[in-house]
Amino acid sequence: MTKQKADLYKQGTLELLILRLLSSGSLNGWDIMQRIQIVSGEVLTVTAGALYPALHRLEARGLISALWKPSENNRKAKFYGLTPRGRKQLETQRKEWERFSDAVALILRDA
Amino acid sequence: MSFSDLWRRWRALTRKDQLDHDLDEELQFHLERDIEQNIKTGMSPQEARYAALKSFDRVDQSKEECRDARGVGFLENILRDVSYSLRVLLKSYAFTIVVILTLALGIGANTAIFSFANGILLRPLPYPQSERLAVLEETALKRGVDSMSISYPNFLDWREQNTVFQDIGCYYGTNRFSLSGAGEPVEVRGSRITHGLLEILRVSPILGRTFTANEDRPDEDAVVILGYDMWQRNFAGSPNVLGQKIMISNRPRTVIGVMPRGFRFPEISELWVPLALTPQMFTRTDHGLSSIARLKDGVTIAQAQSELDAIALRVEQQNPVTNEGLGVKVTSMRDNLAGDYREGLLILLGVVGCVLLVACVNVANLMIARATARQKEFALRTALGAGRWRIVRQVLIESLLLAIVGGVLGFVLSLWALRLLLKAIPGQLPFWMNFSIDLRVLGFTIGITLLTGLIFGAAPALQTSRVDLNDTLKEGGRGTGGGGRGRSRSLLVVTEIALSLVLLVGAGLMIQSFLRLRRVNVGLEPHNVLTSVCILPNAKYTKGEQRAAFFKQLVERVRNLPGVQAASATATVPLSGGNWGRSITVEGYPVLSVGTAPIIQHTVVTPDYFRTMGIPLLAGRDFNDSDTTGSQLVTIVDERLARQYWPNESPIGRRVRFGPPEDNEPWHTIVGVVGAVRHQRMQEETRQSVYMAHQQIPVGGMSLVTRTTSDPKELTPAIRREVAQLDSDLPVSRVATMEEVIAESIWQPRLYATLFAVFAGGALLLALIGIYGVMAFLVQTRTHEIGVRMALGATARDVFKLIVGRGMKLTVIGVVIGIAGAVALTRLMHSLLFNTSATDPIVFILISLLLSVAAFLACYLPARRAAKVDPLIALRYE
Repeated sequence: MTKQKADLYKQGTLELLILRLLSSGSLNGWDIMQRIQIVSGEVLTVTAGALYPALHRLEARGLISALWKPSENNRKAKFYGLTPRGRKQLETQRKEWERFSDAVALILRDA
Repeated sequence: MSFSDLWRRWRALTRKDQLDHDLDEELQFHLERDIEQNIKTGMSPQEARYAALKSFDRVDQSKEECRDARGVGFLENILRDVSYSLRVLLKSYAFTIVVILTLALGIGANTAIFSFANGILLRPLPYPQSERLAVLEETALKRGVDSMSISYPNFLDWREQNTVFQDIGCYYGTNRFSLSGAGEPVEVRGSRITHGLLEILRVSPILGRTFTANEDRPDEDAVVILGYDMWQRNFAGSPNVLGQKIMISNRPRTVIGVMPRGFRFPEISELWVPLALTPQMFTRTDHGLSSIARLKDGVTIAQAQSELDAIALRVEQQNPVTNEGLGVKVTSMRDNLAGDYREGLLILLGVVGCVLLVACVNVANLMIARATARQKEFALRTALGAGRWRIVRQVLIESLLLAIVGGVLGFVLSLWALRLLLKAIPGQLPFWMNFSIDLRVLGFTIGITLLTGLIFGAAPALQTSRVDLNDTLKEGGRGTGGGGRGRSRSLLVVTEIALSLVLLVGAGLMIQSFLRLRRVNVGLEPHNVLTSVCILPNAKYTKGEQRAAFFKQLVERVRNLPGVQAASATATVPLSGGNWGRSITVEGYPVLSVGTAPIIQHTVVTPDYFRTMGIPLLAGRDFNDSDTTGSQLVTIVDERLARQYWPNESPIGRRVRFGPPEDNEPWHTIVGVVGAVRHQRMQEETRQSVYMAHQQIPVGGMSLVTRTTSDPKELTPAIRREVAQLDSDLPVSRVATMEEVIAESIWQPRLYATLFAVFAGGALLLALIGIYGVMAFLVQTRTHEIGVRMALGATARDVFKLIVGRGMKLTVIGVVIGIAGAVALTRLMHSLLFNTSATDPIVFILISLLLSVAAFLACYLPARRAAKVDPLIALRYE
């Protein structure tokens, strides 16, 4: 039981990060992986084994949509973009995350 | 699960290859980018590739996860389960065949009975907005008559005074018309209807028009409307028929319209002429018309009833003599038509539902037995990581597959069964009964199929899911019979026995009732009597003497045919549905008002009728050729009437008269007394009957009755020949032996008794299979235990008693519950029973014994096998 909750939590975080990254424009899987690493100052890393299932789950839920188009190296790549539903989801999840992290911060500081 | 979700899953499944290819592409791209990146940081291509692949180690698992995210898992798993189930079921084909046949019979029987009930009770009548159609009848509740035909002046009053109906129309039953002039005369069923009646039904002619008010009057009414089928049959569907004059019952009438295909009214009529009555021709005391009306929008039957009650009261006050005690009854057309059948059909549906339940219980039993045998398979799958839901789903899918195959087969069976059923209904089916398969029937079949699958699938599925891994795998296949499992199977057997008992008791009651009905003394000797109907058209045979002479000649000719013992003619053949009722006034008794005078069954016969029909002449004489219009008016009464009015003296020479007492019709002198005959129903004869001489009351529509020395049917062509020689335009119809007439009159009780017997027999067979299965299983799983008992000194007899005792315990519990259920339920069929109590103790006792003996036999075989167990072998057998 406990293990499952932790997984979900982790999964939720990754999905939130993906949504956030896609909110400023469409990206392919590799780009997303790079960005997470760079933007988080190499604190967070994500493996392909976690990223791609997350992307496909988000796509299946209609939060992001995919399009095949040429990438920088002129190869066809699958680019993901936010759908309106995804944008809404990002907002709610972000708020939840902030509430959650504020709460954690509060406890860590005061307790 | 939303539709779009389903669609996505479906696409994921159907385009699996495409999507897998996309996924490979996507991951390939990622890999290449990694490699490029690594090269940029200074690695050699080989190193770069190696590093990239290493960071990609979970690629295969991630692929699987990506697929799951697509939602392919659910449907793919189901399909995998289905194909696995198919393989499992095909492997144990004996089991599969037994289950499928059981279900097919259960579902087939249910679908057939449901289609039957659907055609009568549920399907809308074939008229637009038929739910707004109502039927009006008269009642004379004070005389115990709760529905009778109506009189024309009363109908006119209702039509004028009511505010609840758009219109009311009336018609004069279904009559036989002859259509002559072109070749062989043919008989056509038709009706006399008021103008406006077709408009009430909201059916318009496809050619021409309907009757005008003007045409609905005597002498203006030489018009006719044709039905589609007869128009096709007799006029080759030619539109030129409009305006043509055709001979209808020897009267020329102009065709003014043709009705659309499939339209019939009433019953099977397909030709319409104006009713054209006046209140003078058809007075308030003449009853014989039927009426239909269309309710105004928003008016209910109850509202219409209360207004018609008020109108009837007013009419009664204005006509106190003729309308004393007369009321009106308003019913919806559907209830009016289907009323006779409703109760029987609902009971049949209940019965056939019980049979399906027994079938389900039986199949559940088999499934549990099989699940027990498959315990290890399930335990193994559980050990390999299959979840509880997965195993339950597997079992449910198997059940549903079985149910669906059984359902399809059952549906096919039901088509055939329905045809058999419909054959049991005598004569042509009325227009409004339509038994073709519609969406409702399909929905019903699909519904009960799935329900069945779930019902018999649920028990084994739950059982299975409770499998204790360790126990099962440790047990090493010895099996202790499984306490819980054994209990639930026993419970199923008790249920089966109880249900079968209820059905068998129902069947027993129906059969006893039917046998008693068949043994009823009708009052005549039906063997070797042929009846046939001959109706003289009034237009050709205008004078009474002509009609009297015709039948006198015809009877004489037929009497002289070889093989004929006696011949005569009657206006009403007993039990054939045509009944005449009139009020009677007896000389010497107080003259009663029309509202209270008793109604007797009256008919008109030619001489020698009683000898021909085998009705005993108890006193006095038969009619003879000298009873004519010139002589004294005579009548013959039945013994019941004679006994009531002249209990201690001879009625011969006494006088009675008929019709409304105040009409002062002439007196008829009683010249004979005959035995009582059941004219209306086999079940009872409420009316006393009187007979008149045809020479004195020469009606045109008569039935020829002929007693022969051998098979009466062989006489048919000769009779047709004789009729044709007298009048080549005259059709002969409804040729039937008296035995057929009687059998037809009780077709409903016969059908119910047959169906009950078939269904109860099926349930009994299933229950016996069930109890045999459980006992055999018990013996098989307890061989070891039996061996131990025997080794410890139990005799074969003890073992036999143990097993039979166990089976009989279940039987007795089932029988006791069944008797309680039967007492509660058979009461519902009270109205279908004749001279038989719904709790007839003999039926209850006999059926309980029968069931117990049968159950004993079903236990006997396994018990004997148990008694033959060799303890040495049994103990060694692991």
